[in-house]
Amino acid sequence: MTPLVLAANLGLSFAALAALCLSLNRHHAEVFDRKAERAAVLRLRAFGWAAITLSLFVAGLWEGWAFGPVQWIGALTGAALGLVLLLSYRPRYVAPAALAALVAAALPLSILAVSA
Amino acid sequence: MKASFRQSMAWLHTWSGLIVGWVLFAIFVTGTASYYRPDISRWMRPEFTQVEPVDAAALGAAAERAVAHLGQHAAKARTWFIGLPQADKPVLDLFWRTRPGEPPGHVLLDPRTGAEAAVRDTQGGDFLYRFHFELHMPPLWGRWVVGLCAMIMLVALISGIVTHKRIFADFFTFRRDKAPRRSWLDAHNVTGVLALPFHLMITYTGIVTLATFYMPWGVTAAYKGNAQAFFSEASWITTPRPPANRPAALAPVGPMVERARAARPEPLERLMIVNPGDANATVVAVFEEPHGLSHEHPQIAFDGVSGEILEVRDGGLKPAAKTFTVMTGLHEGHFAGPLLRLLFFLCGLMGCAMVATGVVLWSLARLPKAGERPFLGLRLVQALNVGSIAGLPAAVAVYFLANRLLPLDLAGREQWEIRAFFGAWIVAALVPLARPQRRAWCEELAAVSVLCLAVVAADLLTIPDHPLRLGGGDPLFAWFDAAMLLLAALFALAARKMLRYEAPKRDRARGAKPAPVTAPAASPARPPARRPEPTHA
Repeated sequence: MTPLVLAANLGLSFAALAALCLSLNRHHAEVFDRKAERAAVLRLRAFGWAAITLSLFVAGLWEGWAFGPVQWIGALTGAALGLVLLLSYRPRYVAPAALAALVAAALPLSILAVSA
Repeated sequence: MKASFRQSMAWLHTWSGLIVGWVLFAIFVTGTASYYRPDISRWMRPEFTQVEPVDAAALGAAAERAVAHLGQHAAKARTWFIGLPQADKPVLDLFWRTRPGEPPGHVLLDPRTGAEAAVRDTQGGDFLYRFHFELHMPPLWGRWVVGLCAMIMLVALISGIVTHKRIFADFFTFRRDKAPRRSWLDAHNVTGVLALPFHLMITYTGIVTLATFYMPWGVTAAYKGNAQAFFSEASWITTPRPPANRPAALAPVGPMVERARAARPEPLERLMIVNPGDANATVVAVFEEPHGLSHEHPQIAFDGVSGEILEVRDGGLKPAAKTFTVMTGLHEGHFAGPLLRLLFFLCGLMGCAMVATGVVLWSLARLPKAGERPFLGLRLVQALNVGSIAGLPAAVAVYFLANRLLPLDLAGREQWEIRAFFGAWIVAALVPLARPQRRAWCEELAAVSVLCLAVVAADLLTIPDHPLRLGGGDPLFAWFDAAMLLLAALFALAARKMLRYEAPKRDRARGAKPAPVTAPAASPARPPARRPEPTHA
């Protein structure tokens, strides 16, 4: 179970943090060369926080509420490190990588949901 | 200090960070490595990978052999510790103390024959693990120094959070191609903030693991000086039994091991035999931790003479004791599987990077202006920075190298490995004092890279069934060497970066550019009036 749950946590965390990061003007400009629109900012933030919350529930439900939060924070930290490095070296790849992470999280999530 | 709260905190952060920075770096590096302590130990004892693991049913007989050896060689000892064979350490690990002040006895036995195990003399990962909280000093002194550093680290963390004005706006910001001081500050912030939950957790729980050692007065007052009573009420140990001072033969431990094994699903980890040969002898069987966050080993105490069960310690902790064991459990991370362990390890590396960038920032913020000579303190800090940030990894690599290259029959081999470690570190700390700063960084970073490569080469040459040589063998060696190659690449990259930065640096020292250190407006997104926090670094 654990590798699947951790993969889902990592994917969700990366997508969520990327959305929150792109909701900030400086990083939005780095990635898309233009300022973010107000509506887009709100959508990105809502998605980001929702995905972070979902990640906590995924970890808590499958790993238990003792290990879950530990794994949740661990995955957030790991994903954040990857995101910052990507943002610094290859800002253009941030958006595609976030989408890929979301897809990569959906796969283990659906396996978990089916087997549950 | 007539300044705002934030400025006072910045001052506190700067100086609390600097005074303990180098020791903290060493604590972080060895602690991070300790997440892989069993793997490092196994790599450093390659003989183990060729030994068949001991069948659980044969544990009783193996324990009997251990007791026979101890009865012969340590009859006067008050307590015998017998590490039972594990999958990753298939030997009997005997340890005894005769009386305080005397060096303890230690020997590894073959569980099948009871003869001394044919394994190289080394402390393995235990050296790094003990260094993490004792700094290879006498235990009491070392623990005090580490504890003080950890407490100051907590001060530095909290004051750092207060000082960091743009903690959310700069959450993801790492401008690596801006002025050096800006980039280093970004790196310091990013490694600090992204892994902040880990840093706070690891520092706080680190202090908590030794809390009764640092603050024994509560226990002393409440238990009238009888710390043992506290330990047993806190479920750390089974109820201690004082010696009866009447001799009595120790009952065979084999049947006790069998009963203990039947009582619980976890594997048996070790036996502790207190007051052997006395009528009140106690045999305590200690199990591995059950899967859980908290660090608590189930224990069963047997009467050493009759062999009857005296006490079973198994969970059921009160809230305070449970909180404590969960905190130690979180600190040690024994519960973590390979992937989660890797994340813990990454967090540890970010801690190392946070401390390293912090001490470098201190010196960057105080670079001499054009025409000025660097003051002595700056030279000292710069040299210490190189000596610890590049010197310690070099020393660890030399420690691994010594494990492979020292002759196997060298007397006091394990001490020579440690001498190699400290010898390398001392050299690495002294050389930067005599070299120009940039040059010293380049040379030492490159040296670490070369040393890591040398470890891989030595491993390949001295391990006959290395997986990369035969395609078979224990994959542990391949993993370890891959990690070493990765480290070699990282340090080579760092050395190259240092080399490339040399030219603009020299211009500044000559005064070609007037003090770009305080140059504002590194990024158009920021209002140009905001100068890099002068007090922060």
